[in-house]
Amino acid sequence: MQAVRKTFGSVAALNEVNLHINRNEIHGLLGGNGAGKTTLMNVLYGLYKPDSGQIWLDGQPVEIHSPRDAIRQGIGMVHQHFLQVDSYTVLENIVLGAAIKNRPTMQLAEAEQRVKALAGRFGLAVNPQATVEDLPMGARQRVEILKALYRGIKILILDEPTTNLTPQEVDSLFESLRVMVSQGMSVVFITHKLGEVMSACDRITVLREGQSVLTLDRAAASPESLVQAMVGDELDVAGSLLFSADKAVGDAPDRTQPPILDLDAVTVRGDNRQPLLQACSLTVYPREIVGIAGVAGNGQRALAESILGLQAPSAGRISIAGTDVAQTPTVKLLEKLVSYIPEDRLQDGFLPSASVGQNLILGRHRREPYSKNGFLNWPVINRAARRLIGEYKIRTLGPDDTGANLSGGNIQRVMIARAFSFPARLVVAHNPTQGLDIPSIEFVFSKLLAHKAAGGATLLISENLDELLLLCDRIATLYRGQIAGILEREAFDKYEIGRLMSGARIDS
Amino acid sequence: MDQAQLTNFAKLVILALVPYVLASQGTMLGGRTGIFNVAQEGIMLVGASVGFLGAYLSNSLLVGILAAMLVGGVFGLALAYFTTTLRMNQFVIGLALFFIGLALSTLLFKFAIGVTLRPPLVPTLPNLAIPGLARLPFLGEVLFNQNGLVYLTFIVSALLYYWLYQTSFGLELRAVGENPKAADSLGVNVTLLRYGTAIAGGMLMGIAGAYLPMVYTGTFTEGIVQGRGWLAIALTFFGGWRPHLIFLGALFFAGVEVLSLRVQVIGSVVPYQILLMLPYVATILVMMPAFKGVRAPAFLGQNYDREKRTQV
Repeated sequence: MQAVRKTFGSVAALNEVNLHINRNEIHGLLGGNGAGKTTLMNVLYGLYKPDSGQIWLDGQPVEIHSPRDAIRQGIGMVHQHFLQVDSYTVLENIVLGAAIKNRPTMQLAEAEQRVKALAGRFGLAVNPQATVEDLPMGARQRVEILKALYRGIKILILDEPTTNLTPQEVDSLFESLRVMVSQGMSVVFITHKLGEVMSACDRITVLREGQSVLTLDRAAASPESLVQAMVGDELDVAGSLLFSADKAVGDAPDRTQPPILDLDAVTVRGDNRQPLLQACSLTVYPREIVGIAGVAGNGQRALAESILGLQAPSAGRISIAGTDVAQTPTVKLLEKLVSYIPEDRLQDGFLPSASVGQNLILGRHRREPYSKNGFLNWPVINRAARRLIGEYKIRTLGPDDTGANLSGGNIQRVMIARAFSFPARLVVAHNPTQGLDIPSIEFVFSKLLAHKAAGGATLLISENLDELLLLCDRIATLYRGQIAGILEREAFDKYEIGRLMSGARIDS
Repeated sequence: MDQAQLTNFAKLVILALVPYVLASQGTMLGGRTGIFNVAQEGIMLVGASVGFLGAYLSNSLLVGILAAMLVGGVFGLALAYFTTTLRMNQFVIGLALFFIGLALSTLLFKFAIGVTLRPPLVPTLPNLAIPGLARLPFLGEVLFNQNGLVYLTFIVSALLYYWLYQTSFGLELRAVGENPKAADSLGVNVTLLRYGTAIAGGMLMGIAGAYLPMVYTGTFTEGIVQGRGWLAIALTFFGGWRPHLIFLGALFFAGVEVLSLRVQVIGSVVPYQILLMLPYVATILVMMPAFKGVRAPAFLGQNYDREKRTQV
């Protein structure tokens, strides 16, 4: 791909990007959020129309106007959010759009044999007759890959393929990719995770702010050099928390004192009486960060919301610093005890039509000094907002700017600023670094650790296992609403957590 | 009820079934690619008006039916253009098309016929007996000695069922209504299918409208559709957007409707307003539990934009 350019509105998402992919290689495309990785691949796959630039395939210039063209040229893509028809079977999803040979009668037996053969050849085990919505994420991803392979592609693009996979599933994915490249295919692997590029890729291209910064062989690359390329000069890489895990965590938790957060056999039921959380018992002590690992949708949200008093447990007891959550309105908890960084910032955390300043004090707005006798004290609010905007480097015109004008990453900074701008005993952070660039992630980590050093308790719910392994004193793993196991820091083991995440202990 | 009365009753039920089934299948077809048409009532009115005028002026019922189909297709095309190409709100466009249809139906009639004391009439659709089958006892008279549009209704329903569930074409079509991005990424032409189903759906609604003057009244009157178009939306939902269940639902509704008219004619102590209500109440009561759990297409009523970036 040569000098590809793509703008959305006035923003140049891609600015003269070059990318060269060899046969028989896994090519890592590395970059932070908004670096243009996905946009570049969407151009290659015909989903986006580039403003300028040229794509060459086997030395020939090609025009790709739609996914149909891309498939015809032998290019397949597995999107980060799987593009599947949930109510269809695996087989139906795979043959969709490809079963043109037998249009009127749709005999799928032959197609099923082909799918099984492909699955066997590349180690992508999946039951063709299963309905897609019933499958775990790892299997759904195998369906996506099979969809591409079924069309006989030569280049496979994977967009952040390891999100939501257990470490075991990640390993088996990499093995399948190895088989593919050994049989003459090329794989483009989009990710923001360094470890994965270092372990899986043959060559690596780093993108930053819509430009290709450098391309390296793996042998020539080091994590430090790659991070430096990803972030530019914004970060002191050598002193970064990301490379100094053990130094960073600080003192051991203070378990001589009573726990700040105490869940005792808590069960939460959903709308259809199904248990979202089952008999969960968990404690978080002062100066402790407890991580919650698990594939998304295994009760994380119910856990966070029950602690905040947003969902009432049907059984069990939750207390924060001795205060019974069931007896206390959420607004009182937020004023005195808890800071909350919600998972879905747009849905649960942010008012797009309110100003940035209003968003920054939301939840404490009834409390002095922001409010007096029921009236908001605007000069104080604006002063506080300006201070936070500076301190948390929120890119905005000022406290009066409309919330909707902020980008996703900046909205997340508002969430962080709000959570850490007053001394809470407990911080509940749900995927606090999602959508942030590396310097911002670093910043969030430092804030979490500062909270810990000050004696606070933190419940860190995250789908990013590396983040949990780096920061936590203990990690509890959720599987189908149950705590499948709790590990102490000395016993941390990625694969053991992976087994817990996939229900190995509970199901057997 | 003796044998002759029962046969007559069943025949009337089949007759009443036609406009509901055609309009509902038209709604279902568009919905399967995500286009939620709410202009049924308006399209049926125009269909009734144009169908009548076409038949009256050309002295051919077939010309009338084809004209109604054409105008219904034009309405479907308009809906597809505004929603799929211009990506405007489907509900608002649908309502606008309803009002246009409502006004246009009367306007066209006034232009072509003017105000008359004696209404102009077209002949009733003739019965076409199917050789052999029509001589079966009971069923022969009820099912196989009917007008052509009754047969069309059966055939359309059966074809749609087969198409949607037994062919790869149907697999692609349904995928567009469930997850157009997935379909698009596999090379399915989302825009083409949305246009196609919206137009075909509009055509079926146009025919459903033309059926009314040709079978019941012999002429066009204002508001001749009497809410059948709105009801088609409900029947489509009750039928879970599946052709066979829609057919069964419409059959049941038509049955109760004819029955309540019967009781009115015979006379009863129950006020007639209650009897008028009966078909609606009975349908809701029967169909709610029966089709619980079947769901509408996931992308129903939404517009697809390939380059739209997912919100952060």
